Formats: sequence, structure tokens, C-alpha cells
Amino acid sequence: MPLITAHANSTVLPIHFQTGQTLRAILDTTTMRVRSGCRGTGACGLCCIRLVAGSGNAPTPNERLQLSPEKLTAGVRLACQFQPSGDVTVELLNPAPPSDWKSLGQEILRPASCLLPSRSFPLTTATSMGIAVDLGTTNICLALYNLLTGQRLSERSGINPQSLFGSDVMTRLVAAAESAEIAGKMSDMVLVALAEAIQDISSREGIDTSQAIYLTLVGNTAMLALLTGKGHELLLRPEMWEQAIPCPTVPPSHWGARLGIHAMANIEVIAPLAGFVGSDLLAGLLAMHLTKREKPALFIDFGTNTEIALWDGHQLLVTSAAGGPAFESCGISCGMPAESGAIYRVTHQGADTLSFEVIDDLSPPRGLCGSGLVDLVACLCQDKILSDTGRFLSPSSPVEYCLPWPGKGLSITKRDIDMLQRAKAAVAAGVTALLNKAALSASALTRVCLAGAFGKYIRVASAKAIGLLPDIDDNRFELCGNTALAGCEDLLLSSEAADRLEGIRSEAELINLSRIADFDELFFNHLFFRPMTEASHDS
Amino acid sequence: MEASVMEPLVSALLMGERAEALAAARQLLAADISRERIITEGIEPAMTSLDEKCTIEQFNLLEIMLVGRALNAVVDLLYPEGTSPPATRGTVAVASLKGDIHDIGKKIVIIVLKANGYHVIDCGKDCPVDRLVNTAAGEGAMAVLVSGLITSVIPQIRQLKDALREKGCSHVKVMAGGAALKQATTDDLQVDYVAQTAFDGLHFLRALS
Repeated sequence: MPLITAHANSTVLPIHFQTGQTLRAILDTTTMRVRSGCRGTGACGLCCIRLVAGSGNAPTPNERLQLSPEKLTAGVRLACQFQPSGDVTVELLNPAPPSDWKSLGQEILRPASCLLPSRSFPLTTATSMGIAVDLGTTNICLALYNLLTGQRLSERSGINPQSLFGSDVMTRLVAAAESAEIAGKMSDMVLVALAEAIQDISSREGIDTSQAIYLTLVGNTAMLALLTGKGHELLLRPEMWEQAIPCPTVPPSHWGARLGIHAMANIEVIAPLAGFVGSDLLAGLLAMHLTKREKPALFIDFGTNTEIALWDGHQLLVTSAAGGPAFESCGISCGMPAESGAIYRVTHQGADTLSFEVIDDLSPPRGLCGSGLVDLVACLCQDKILSDTGRFLSPSSPVEYCLPWPGKGLSITKRDIDMLQRAKAAVAAGVTALLNKAALSASALTRVCLAGAFGKYIRVASAKAIGLLPDIDDNRFELCGNTALAGCEDLLLSSEAADRLEGIRSEAELINLSRIADFDELFFNHLFFRPMTEASHDS
Repeated sequence: MEASVMEPLVSALLMGERAEALAAARQLLAADISRERIITEGIEPAMTSLDEKCTIEQFNLLEIMLVGRALNAVVDLLYPEGTSPPATRGTVAVASLKGDIHDIGKKIVIIVLKANGYHVIDCGKDCPVDRLVNTAAGEGAMAVLVSGLITSVIPQIRQLKDALREKGCSHVKVMAGGAALKQATTDDLQVDYVAQTAFDGLHFLRALS
């Protein structure tokens, strides 16, 4: 993969990229950005760079219009027009302040049949815009739309700054319970982060975000409670986890101004289903049309809390399984998010040789992301390096397996294996518990929708081999990405979506796994690395 | 020589092989080796070895649970229901408190303590403070153990010493452990000990008697 060496002010950033994109599009996936006033059409001429070395496409008509012949001769180009064709070195002449907000790498994948008719909006301004927000524990994703055309104009994702108060929901809730001041601070942090993301869109895309007259927000229950400052103390009481949690759906009127959208904007927080099932899951079910057909379908939204829904053709069973963050590769010794330098795929190349695929082909890799971890464990089990109980079988290395980059600290330890076992057992036991409740066998499932970042890169064969996913035909699995944002987009844009959401809300039956009599037994049986169908046999 | 007689049992226990452990124990019984010897020279050394290996993270949750199952099967074989249990090092009451429905950690503690000769009363998960304290008082427990995976149980833990004192049980020690509690201090939690692992807890109990 070719390399861009980008200089801005005094910083240098190496960026691996696929050819066929503009420099600006490539930069937008990093923390180094160019200023822009026109969303990259070549109309504003702000995103000047200087090509120091390397080559690319010839200057476009827009560049000839914006840049003098002297400048062009000196190698000045517009980042939104220049497409590097190989290794290049560039200098950003008009860098934007570094931003923590990155463009989403990929569009949300879903069938066209899943799109709903649009709603009619009052024509208050020439271009009415709306924003959909998925407020996650780790990440915040948002997208800006033209409400009249339904076109997605821009999107951003970034880190939820509340992670300062703890990476998991429970720690944050406890912190918020300690003092009203901390609770208020946590709510503020999210508003500030959203305002930054919106400001980032405004300054880099040249979009007047004050024309955004609608904002729709979904999230898990704890995030919604912390944001609205209501009900978070209730979530510390497990008897409330199955209850509806009061959530003000219309926030205070000053939010519009604080967020940098229209001061009178119509802001809607979609209420969660219950203490442990948020409106992010509801939105995901809406986007995937899980309950539309008569055939059984399963939906799994992977995260630290993995939410699972089973539609058996007549009833909708919903639960949440707390498996820990192994799928996000948090807490794994060489774990990292699915970013540049992460091993995301491990396959066999010949009998005993493993082949590793690394995002952006970095060598040596920087770490292992969730899908890479699942792949690696599946390969090690197949090669009898790891037993189905999670024991390293080599007498010379009983506590870790080193990846073939000596001295780079790339290994997985017994502890990592334990974390993955617990995470996958929680999910698999949750799926099994729902199937048992509906008296369905896994083979009856016609669709299995896998959502979340992990659900985008996962290799289904590996996940089936270690017993994370049901052992059924590959073609029944759909890798869906961020379904919560997709559903939130439906709620923002469609007249039918809100009704459908209420339909899903009223028919969902909550299942609390801790109240299922044999759940401990199910969990134990699913700790083994073996396909799910065999998992019920105790050793 | 003694060690080699016990070796098959010890190794089957450590591998978590229930059937093999049972077969090994049956062979020992058939060779007229006493139950007490099987406990002190078979099961306890196996637990010591598990203790050492857990410290260097050679065992994961599944393996410990498999060891626990094998161990329970052997103890049930040696002391079938109705026969008098082996003399105990003391009685302890164990619980996850009201609101905490996680009990994997608690199960590991129970396995470790039982295997080391303690009489363990499991008050279960989601257990109110009253029930735990009444059980401890009624059974003459030497200690009360609470396992916590969520921090929201902390206020209940802070009530334990007082609740025990009200029952005239101020001599009963209170020990806390589990993911949500092990970073806390004894003062924070108002307990006598905060155990980092099941074995750490065992060492504390041993030092009491």
C-alpha cells in the first residue's frame, strides 16, 4: 500500500492509503486535516497543499481556476482535487486545527429494501438539515443530512470523553452517583464533544450547521441517563434493569445553541427500552427490519455489553450480555482498535504457517483487533496449539503464544484467552438462552445480523469454530456495521420510522439472563472453544 | 512413594478431568487408603499446586471450574451424602449481596475453601445483608465472605460489621473480594480484609486459626 508523508506545522504523519481517492478524503480518516469551505468540490480553494515529492493526477480545471500558474509550477495543489498515485510527500499549507473527530470509514451496509419513506419537513430555511447521533459508551458517531433530499452530507466519529470517568458503564454510573457535580460534568462533556464534532463539520466542510433544525439521538440507557441527568442513579439498582427508565425525550431548549445547531432546533432523545436495553438496540432492530418477516432472525450488537434480540416470527425477545470488552480488544495485552496497524485477519497458509493481514499493511503490526483475536484463537485451536479449554499445549510455552515478530511484544497470554472465553461465553449463552426460550434451534434462523465495529470485520467461520456464533450456513450472516446510527437516520428522515419503533418497543419482551435458571450452566458450557452445537455436551 | 500413589489423582484434578479423578480416587479407596489421607495427601497438594499456578496466571476460569467439578465429584465420592463430613478448619458464610447477580468469583472461592477443609455455607447471589448475617450467626461462622463484581454493593458491605456486632458476633471476620472490590481498602469497605484472589483469601483465613 502506498504511503503519504504529510507535514503540517511541525508534525509529520505517515499515512498508508488506497489509490483512487483524493488527498483530502484520505486525510479525513486521520487526525491531520485541511481547512475547507466547500465540502471538497474544489470551489473554495482553501485546502492548499504543496506536493514535495511523488506524483498524482494532473491539475483539474478547478485547480487551474483557483491556483495561479506560478503556484501550480511550485507544486501547490488542492487537497480535494489531488489524487496521489504512489508514495508522496506533501506539506499542508492551510492545516485545520487537529481534530479528534474522524470521518466514518465506511457507509452503513444495508439492503435498499430497508429504506423507509421520508417524512415531510417544514421548509424553514433554504437547506434544512438534520443530525443523527449514536451515543455509545466508547464512541460517539453522528451524521448530518439534507432533510429535503435525504442525502448524507457528512459524518464524524470520535471518542466519548466520559471515558475519563471509567471505560465501563457501571464505573461511570457510580461516579455520577457520588456527586451532582460529577454527574453534571459528565453530561456537559458529551454536549461539548457533540458541539466539537458539529463545529468540525462546519469548519472543514463549510456547512452552515446552524441550519440543522432537527437532531435525533439514540444510545444505551446509561449514556442517555448520564446525558439527560435523569435516572442514572436508578441504573445502579439491578431490579430496575428490566424496568423502563424515565428519560426526558425533549431536552432543555438551550441545547440547540450549545451544540452549534439552530437555536430552536427540534432535539429528540429516543427513550431506551429498559435499564439494560437502550434505544441504540431499538434503532438497530428498526434499521435491520428484524421483525418484518415471518422467518426467525437473530440480531447481535457487539460491545462491552452485547445486546441480543431474537425474532421467532411472532415474538421479539431482547437481552443484554455483559461479556467485557474483549471484542473491542480492550484489556487484551496486545489489543488495539481496528485501526491502522491492527492485525484484523489471521488465516492458515499451509499446514502450520499462519498468515496475518494488517490494516494498511503496516510491518511490524502494532497489535491485534477483535476480529484478529478471534481468527488467531480459531487457528491455534485448529493447530492444537491451544486446547478447547483454553490451555496452551506447548510445554515450553504454557502461558503465552508469541506472534512471529520477535521482540515486538506481540503475544497473546493465558489471561487474554480467559477474557475472550468469558466474553464469547456470555454472548453464546445469551443467544442459546433466547433460542431455548423461543423453543427454536439455531438452524431455524434465516438471518443473523451482526452489528457494531466488531460485527463489521469478524470472520464468521472463525467465530463459528470457537463457538461465538451459531454453527449455521455462512450465507445467513449479515455484517451490518453501526446499525444504531442507521436506525437513528431512519428516525430522523422517515415518517414511518417512529411508528415502527414504537411497534418494536411495545412487542419486545425483556429477558434478564441472570434470572434464567440454567444460565450458569450455559455459561460454563460455552467457555469451551468448540462450535456451539457441541457446546451443550459437558466434558 | 506416597507421592506416586497420589500422583494420578493430583494430576487428574489439576487437569480438571472429572472421570479420571474419580477413577483415581476409587483406586486409592480400593487400596485401603483412608479418606483423610486422600484429602491431606491428594486433594490439598493439588490445591497448593493450583494456588501456585494461579499466581502465575496459568489457569483460566474454565480450567478452575473444571478443577472444581472434579474436586466436588471426588469429595462426594469420599463423603457421600449422609456420612459425616471431614473435620473442618472452620465455617464460613459466603454471598454476593443484594443487587449482585454475578457469582462466578464466589464459586471459585467456595471450591478453594472446601478443598482446603473449610465448611462453606453458600448464601447465594442477590443476598440481603440480614440473611447473610443471620446465617453466619446461626452457624457459628468464623468469617463472612462477600464477593462483588459491581461497585453498587459497597454500601451494603459497609453495613456488615455493624450488623454482625448487633447480633453479638463482633468476633466474626469480614472479607471482601471480586473485581469491583479488590482495589478498595479495608477502611473504604469497613471490612477486615480485602482479598486479591481466592487463594489470598484462603491465606487470610489460615492465619486466623
